[in-house]
Amino acid sequence: MTAPDITGPVRPVTVPARPVLAVAALAAATVAWAAVPMSGARAGARPALIVAAACAVFSVAQLAAALLASRPGTARRDTGVYQAPLPGFIRRAWDGVRAVPWPQGLTVAVLGLEALHPARPWHTVVLGVVVLAFLLALHLAESADGPAVLRPQLPLIAAGLGLAVVSAGAAMLPAVSSGSGWLTVIAAAAAVLAAALALPV
Amino acid sequence: MLTAGPQRTVAVTWRLSSLARRLVTLALAALFLAVITRRAEFAGLAAPALLLLVPRQPGRPPSVGVTLAAGADQVTESEQASVLARITGHGEGTVRLRLLPAAWITAGPPALGADGWYRLPFRVRHWGLRPVGTLEVILHDRWRLSEGRLTVSLPAVTCLPLPARLESLVVLSKLPARLGEHAARATGEGTEFAGVREFVPGDRQRRINWPATTRRGTLQLNTFAAERAQVTVILLDVSTDVGTAGESTADLAVRAAAGTAAAYLAARDRVGLISFGRQVRWISPAPGRRQADRIMNMITFDSGDGEPLTSVSRLPNAALPPGALILVVSPLLSLRLVEALRELRERGFATLVVDVLATEPDIGSGLAGSRDRAMARLARRMWRMEQDAIRFSLRELGIPVVYWDGRSSLDEPLAPYTRRVMVSRT
Repeated sequence: MTAPDITGPVRPVTVPARPVLAVAALAAATVAWAAVPMSGARAGARPALIVAAACAVFSVAQLAAALLASRPGTARRDTGVYQAPLPGFIRRAWDGVRAVPWPQGLTVAVLGLEALHPARPWHTVVLGVVVLAFLLALHLAESADGPAVLRPQLPLIAAGLGLAVVSAGAAMLPAVSSGSGWLTVIAAAAAVLAAALALPV
Repeated sequence: MLTAGPQRTVAVTWRLSSLARRLVTLALAALFLAVITRRAEFAGLAAPALLLLVPRQPGRPPSVGVTLAAGADQVTESEQASVLARITGHGEGTVRLRLLPAAWITAGPPALGADGWYRLPFRVRHWGLRPVGTLEVILHDRWRLSEGRLTVSLPAVTCLPLPARLESLVVLSKLPARLGEHAARATGEGTEFAGVREFVPGDRQRRINWPATTRRGTLQLNTFAAERAQVTVILLDVSTDVGTAGESTADLAVRAAAGTAAAYLAARDRVGLISFGRQVRWISPAPGRRQADRIMNMITFDSGDGEPLTSVSRLPNAALPPGALILVVSPLLSLRLVEALRELRERGFATLVVDVLATEPDIGSGLAGSRDRAMARLARRMWRMEQDAIRFSLRELGIPVVYWDGRSSLDEPLAPYTRRVMVSRT
């Protein structure tokens, strides 16, 4: 077996800034959309907003750090046997921060922040769209792929958004929005389904 | 064209992708809030995430085939090389490759060619036998809900030191009687004009200098300088290594030695090498490309098969033929080497030292008191004076010492000795 000739041009080394900016914009939009207006929110909205903002910042920092670490041209240096205490502590702390799943925290925080506001179905659906866009953009940035890789998922995303719109419309009906029992049962069944899907194979 | 290695089958460990974990979090959080708050819109918010999770199928390959091909077994410092990789058996999923570089390796971005091979360019920034690193293969299924990772160790590559530039050579006034390319003082069959003398029977008529013959009235003949080869022995001192890694005295010394050996061998001279490190190792002078490879191998690798430094009282005679030029590349920190240089001079060898000491000891950088700092300054001055004394004593013995900073061409420090022949006082 022979391998091809290697005498071709090599692409220049670049750092992808655009995906990070897109993710940062979507994270900021998610937090802002869930927060406004703060005046009508219940108690606990302010701590939830702080948590959501922190999760957004750390999500973007985590992504940027991951991209910088995997940047072509980055070489590991020998750190030596001995290391000063402060840089060692900072390095360990940063490694700990990077290990936290901040995007999941952001998702939970913004949904909680939205729940602390009075019922506003269309606003919630738009928030869902923005959160989904944030998660997909984050995945694309991490995997350094273009939006084209999500083409197989497009029908599913469209169907899901259609269901979300239907649910928002249903929530605006007075009988349903009052909180009847069947909605609770359906939600619980869906929770079981999601938990089953989450189990690793 | 390169020959690829055999295809290896590597098992893949699949797990939930980060996207799937986040979608599960979104769905569960939305459904939980729908139950708690009894707001239907939250249940709808979970719908896109749940639908995206539904297509996850278990039909993923348990293993993939990995074929590697090395672009080159041997590279020079800062020269670009490539590893080629081909991944097979991953089905409909996508493949992403990442080169996790080892120390002193700079990795470039991988690129997929039209032939299905990935090119992973890299550069080695320090000479020696260097492991390239590991190749990380990240596999995603079609729906991006499962992720498989595997790592493959890449073979090590030999990195030769970047030779220092040297275009003008130091040439002795007396050269051994071997055919070469340096014009000698003696007349011979070379091409460089040496003078005019009277014609004697037996001389070639084509060498008659007709203008001189016309002026003097008798037949005059052109004479030419003989062309001889020089014997050069490079004494590489790596017994001490100080300074920043990559620019240390040993790094500068091996680059200077590599450049010097290459330049003299290109001029068809006979070149030998004495490596003065943990052991004393040597290669007797010889010309040719094979000698260049032997010298570069000795410079690059410490095989540990020489004579221990402590048991060697003088440099080996076998590596020092009479009339050889001894080019010493050293930081002159080893007093044993300085003694060896004195002994070389006593034996009549023309010797020239390229000083590569580009750093100073870090004395007193962490001291706070003014008295301690003054003591540190004094210690540094004493160290400098000691170094100056060593160099002065060598010059007094007739051994020129030139300083090379490792960045410029070697021609600059050697210029006073390359513009004219170096007189050998044997």
